[in-house]
Amino acid sequence: MAEFAVVFQQLLNGLSLGAMYSLIAIGFTLFFGVIDLINFAHGEIYMLGAFVALITVSILGGMGLIGLNFIVVLAVVLLVTMIFCALVGAAVERSVVKPMRGAPDLMTLLVTLGVSIILREAVMLFYPNGANPQAFPDLLPAGDFSLGGVLIKYEQLFLLTVAAVLVVFLYFLVNKTDYGRYMRATSQDREAAMMMGLDIDRIIVLTFMLGSALGAVAGVLNGMYYNIIKFNMGFLMGIKGFSAAVVGGLGNIYGAVVGGLLLGFLEMFAAAFIPGGSRYQDVIGFLIVIFFLVFRPSGIFHEKVYEKV
Amino acid sequence: MKKYVALLLILSLIVMSFGVVGCGQKQAKTVKIAYIGPITGPNAAIGLGMKNSAELAIKQANASGKLPYKLELLVLDDASDPAQAVNAANKAASDPDVVAAVAHFNSGCALASVHAFHKFGLPAVIIAAIHPKITQNGYPEITRVIGDINIQEKVAGKKATTEFGLKKFAVIQDQTDYGKSNAEAFMDEVKRNGGEIVSYDGIAVGQQDFSALLTTIKAKNPEMIFFGGLATEAALIKRQMADLKIPAIFMSDSGILSSTFNEIAKDAATGTLAHGYGAPIEDLPGGQAFIKAYNEAGFKEPYEAYGPFAYDAAGIVIEAIKKVGPDRAKLVNAIRDTRDYNGVLGKTSFDQNGQTTADLVTTYISENGKWVPYYKSTLKVKDKKIQ
Repeated sequence: MAEFAVVFQQLLNGLSLGAMYSLIAIGFTLFFGVIDLINFAHGEIYMLGAFVALITVSILGGMGLIGLNFIVVLAVVLLVTMIFCALVGAAVERSVVKPMRGAPDLMTLLVTLGVSIILREAVMLFYPNGANPQAFPDLLPAGDFSLGGVLIKYEQLFLLTVAAVLVVFLYFLVNKTDYGRYMRATSQDREAAMMMGLDIDRIIVLTFMLGSALGAVAGVLNGMYYNIIKFNMGFLMGIKGFSAAVVGGLGNIYGAVVGGLLLGFLEMFAAAFIPGGSRYQDVIGFLIVIFFLVFRPSGIFHEKVYEKV
Repeated sequence: MKKYVALLLILSLIVMSFGVVGCGQKQAKTVKIAYIGPITGPNAAIGLGMKNSAELAIKQANASGKLPYKLELLVLDDASDPAQAVNAANKAASDPDVVAAVAHFNSGCALASVHAFHKFGLPAVIIAAIHPKITQNGYPEITRVIGDINIQEKVAGKKATTEFGLKKFAVIQDQTDYGKSNAEAFMDEVKRNGGEIVSYDGIAVGQQDFSALLTTIKAKNPEMIFFGGLATEAALIKRQMADLKIPAIFMSDSGILSSTFNEIAKDAATGTLAHGYGAPIEDLPGGQAFIKAYNEAGFKEPYEAYGPFAYDAAGIVIEAIKKVGPDRAKLVNAIRDTRDYNGVLGKTSFDQNGQTTADLVTTYISENGKWVPYYKSTLKVKDKKIQ
């Protein structure tokens, strides 16, 4: 392989990984933006998304529908997963986050941490053979093409397309719709928004559903990309998604996207171009976070400086 | 009159005690061999198969009528727990009728109990624990009928270089004790046979994305990528190798010889090579006879993967008893001096450490979602189809 092709291949590898980080980071940033909450259960929502997709696929298979057009199957799987995880997100908000409103932020943080452990252990205990890694089915026709020596898989294209579509959708949602305006209002000044007659509770729950649905998509994409899912996959991914959000600037949606991509690229390049770097691949991300927290705590996109947590 | 009664009573007591002593002497002719292995716990199925196989060897020896003693198997459970293993070894050693032991599936158990065997001078044949250090304490009591961890990679390294004729190797390991020692043993053997290591990298257990590492490796054009580690990471590496169209053979060792690897790697699994201890039992030199005898003995549980090893371990002990009699001290030397014992596994001889010299390692290849012995497969390295 020519040198430049290697670099582009690594760029593509980083882009695919970064897109997944971005989707998770958006969730973190939404929760933080609207109610100043760091939701540690978000990583488990992502894990749940992967498992719900797996169950959906096997149910479809049991009904003999898996032979249908793969686009139909994918759409059904993504839809079911997003709805399910949105509901779980809403349930988490209503059952444990809402009662904590007004309590010190540290309490809410602990509560979400507790929820994450419960969700993780529940999947391990109740999913058949849940402690072992599960094989994730190929939902896309396998295939790839070469572009100037760079191999591009259909899965990578799909992953990047889905991520891009979701980001664009989010842009319109936040900037062009009423709900987006309510969300921004709540984020800027909750009391003022309430005084203007906004139903804050509803906006918060909707935000949770939105963020959780995006996290669930990241879970499905991760399953499709690596073909393996595990009950504890949410922990590391959650922390990385959070890191990406911090790097980008917590509370800023574009920051989350950029932060995720940056993290993906840095990990790839560390593994590729630092001798012996592959063993530190997972550490690099956290080094970056520490760097940002020390030198630029507001992230790349300066959204709001937070004193809490 | 009372005197006579008393005398009679005393006499009858004396006679009776003679009788008891007589019985006692007869019982002394029972010789016990201890079996220590997992009867409960996570490896119980394997342990029961080993127990039954040892029992089969003893039944056959008793039935042959060649021994002036009746052999008996004393079954003790180590539950795959080192602490229980030491207890069991102590218990076996404190029974004066026990003259030798066949023991252990787990390396942790064997590493702990060898000291107890040595302390009591009880000869012990290790059945299926493969840690190299088990036979490296200089204890004359300890022998082992299975190859240690290095033998697997010696065979693997030799096969890759001399038989398959490969020259350029990329090696990855998962930085665990297991992965690292396998990778290093493999590299040593490859270098000894003139192979070249073009890259050597570590990864973290639980890592998912190896595309960066593999892209770098691809640029170095290795003919084979060797991985020291377990099934999950191996499956991910193999899939990502296929995605990146790396034209190299993927090989690992017993750590990936499970259905997990094939399930996760799916189509990409095809052509992966791995080495494992032992061999399919039906293909072993004495395999057919063993299977027949085992089935006829009517055991409830199957013999599992390591039954033949336990059968041979017990056979070696019995052979030594035939030679020198049921005496621990003599048996220590007699077992250690075993040369060319003809068993199910083929010929077993022990080296100066008590380690079997046989390198019973089989190359497996993944074909149609299953691990099959390489010699039975239609896939061949030379066809280049398995990349």
